[in-house]
Amino acid sequence: MDASRRNLLKTAAVLLVDGLANSSRFASCRTPIDAAARDDRKVIIVSCGGIRREETFLSTGLGNIPHLYHDLLPRSIFYPFLRNAGVTSHYNAISSILTGDWQRLDDWGGMPPANPTIFEYLRKHKELSQDSAWLISSNKALTSRIGASSIHDFGPRYGANVVFPKQLLINAVIQAASQGHPEHSADRAAMRQEFEAILQNADNYEGLGWSVSGEESYLDLRVRGSMERAIEDLVRTNAPVTGDEFTFLISEEVMRRFAPPLMAITFSDVEAAHFGSYSMHLAGIRTMDRLVYELWNLVEELPAYRGRTTLFILPEFGRDFDGSNTNGFFNHRSNDDSTSLTWMMCLGEAARAADVIERPVQHVDLCPTIAGMFGIRGLDLPGKPLPGLSA
Amino acid sequence: MRPALDQQLSQWNLLFPFEQAQVAAFMEGLEALSPAGLAALTEPLWSLEKKMGVKNWSFSETNDTIENASRLARSEYYDEWRQEVQRVFEAANAASRDSSAAQVERMRLILIVLPRSLPVDPQSIWKQWDPRGRAIRISGHSERICELLLQGLPSVSGIANLTARQSRVDSSDLWLIDAEAKLGSLCPLSSPSSASALGYAALKPFRDRFLAELNKAPKSIRVTDEVVSALRLESADGWGLWPAEIASQPRLRKFVIDLFLSGNGALIFSNAFVEWAVCEALRRARPRMIVARFGMRSRPKPFTSIAVFENQQKISSLPDIDDPENSAIDAVILARYIWLAACRYPEQQQTLCLCVSEHLDSGYVILPATKSLGWNPDSPVAPEELAAWLGTQLVS
Repeated sequence: MDASRRNLLKTAAVLLVDGLANSSRFASCRTPIDAAARDDRKVIIVSCGGIRREETFLSTGLGNIPHLYHDLLPRSIFYPFLRNAGVTSHYNAISSILTGDWQRLDDWGGMPPANPTIFEYLRKHKELSQDSAWLISSNKALTSRIGASSIHDFGPRYGANVVFPKQLLINAVIQAASQGHPEHSADRAAMRQEFEAILQNADNYEGLGWSVSGEESYLDLRVRGSMERAIEDLVRTNAPVTGDEFTFLISEEVMRRFAPPLMAITFSDVEAAHFGSYSMHLAGIRTMDRLVYELWNLVEELPAYRGRTTLFILPEFGRDFDGSNTNGFFNHRSNDDSTSLTWMMCLGEAARAADVIERPVQHVDLCPTIAGMFGIRGLDLPGKPLPGLSA
Repeated sequence: MRPALDQQLSQWNLLFPFEQAQVAAFMEGLEALSPAGLAALTEPLWSLEKKMGVKNWSFSETNDTIENASRLARSEYYDEWRQEVQRVFEAANAASRDSSAAQVERMRLILIVLPRSLPVDPQSIWKQWDPRGRAIRISGHSERICELLLQGLPSVSGIANLTARQSRVDSSDLWLIDAEAKLGSLCPLSSPSSASALGYAALKPFRDRFLAELNKAPKSIRVTDEVVSALRLESADGWGLWPAEIASQPRLRKFVIDLFLSGNGALIFSNAFVEWAVCEALRRARPRMIVARFGMRSRPKPFTSIAVFENQQKISSLPDIDDPENSAIDAVILARYIWLAACRYPEQQQTLCLCVSEHLDSGYVILPATKSLGWNPDSPVAPEELAAWLGTQLVS
């Protein structure tokens, strides 16, 4: 991505996080990190949609992941056999990662997880404020309900901030189209109206940033005009801009401003596969590879993160095998290793000595592992702590 | 099982002959079983559904809905349930006197065209294809192969005429599926009903309206099911947007609507449309001949690529720009998927598959075990020679 386009996205990301930081809901979050959270350890989970092993860590796919393979693998603990034994849909897979138990929920995000999420365990156990736990997602299949469970003793009051940056871009595009004048998409004045309408739409669950406590979305008036201008520029640029790029930039801003102990990022450019474009799917894998590398570099650059952060990277599942009756890479519905078997990489504090752990592990093992890193013990979960990591 | 069967029976006249035969054979098979045999056959399935709590679900018994699929897929017994349903179908079919084997005897053809505009990679294009086949070289002008096959040679009839002469006269025996608008001009059909001809380009006005209607649905399974049901039942036919070659064929209109509602990119990208239409035609109609032609897609436009499910021309005033390299990557894997789809059915044993890359003047041919190439495969073959050989294979 060239510098000018990156700067436009970055401006939009900075302004968005500014807006969140200055909004009434986030009034308590203005200091980068509160005292209770200063127990130093930080964990970042990156899930990256449905990606087959053959397009990544098998010999046929290594060309798609130069950073993961050459730059990060040699310093990681790598799990080549990570199994999703649950429902291979996005909402269920991510909920299962976050809860440590296989979730069987409405795929469309209509139900909260049926077990407490790692966000809730952490915030309740450590009495942390809401700015300590974030989920920043490109994935349209998720809803805000993923940030907290339906369990009475936990639930929204211990949930995460859930933000869908990509939805801002989508909403702007759709709003412009709904005017029926395609020329407006390149017209500054016309687009300003579109953004105004989106930003004022308080009950839109896909809002720019909102908490699971159910309060309305709110973006600070001070930054609204600047944000409109940045995104108008984005509309008129001549090169593709991806949702994952914007999600990364928002994540970066959250790290710089809030330095939360726990953050989950979900990328989803690879899901262009559902529309049958293999080339766009591969482009999504390469974008993910680059963004994960940039994220790791950021972790090493920021004092709040350097030397105290564990980063997990994992696909939610694979995709269906070529020749399956579910149309191969398009989908992730078959009950086969191509779909259910994937990989995970762990970098940073808990991965002190590089290793490859061939023992099969599962997505639900992540939650109890992270809980253990934060000193939360005694959880009765189907998932078990991952082998090979430092305590 | 009941929603799927009810849906098929209620629209009997819109089923292809193969589907009608399949449903009839299943019913006949059930009838052939004694009441005790039927009870024994289905008892494990009912027990399983009881365990799954299906009775307490909001479950449509008349239609296959997204809600139905979603409830089933997230059940912990889903895989077991699928196996049970499969077992019941297989047992009923085995009990039926009908056998579809009689239809397998004639030679079938799948011709896949990767047009010259797609710069495919010569090193990798055939690498993952079925090892039973082999790559061939064409001496030049490989565009002529499709034209000659469709229009015929002095010595061999075009495939439309061949199909009409050899089969029961049904348009589901010959499918022409095109990403652009080329096949129609190459194959003047005697009447629209002599073939099932689907062109992504020709369907544009209909597609645009259909996509707009689908995108109106909010993020709610219930409302989406309502929107889908309305589109499936009547509303789309009233728009007056069908291309002429489809407008007079209710069965084909329903096929297109089902195709678009089943996703898989058929509404979004022309090459996904071609692949998925062929896969569905193979599954539902088991045609004798299919000609599938891939094509060019546009480069995603700045900013709008994040809303790829929207009408790109509607959301940006920037002109469309061809994306040959990525179109080629898409078409190469999707062409192979067509053959993999064909391999799921017994008719594959009598199917000759030829995929032609016009850009490379190269092809990949897979023959039934009893057939062999009619020329020295180490030498390039002329389009006329190849088309004549294909024609003779189809009449033999």
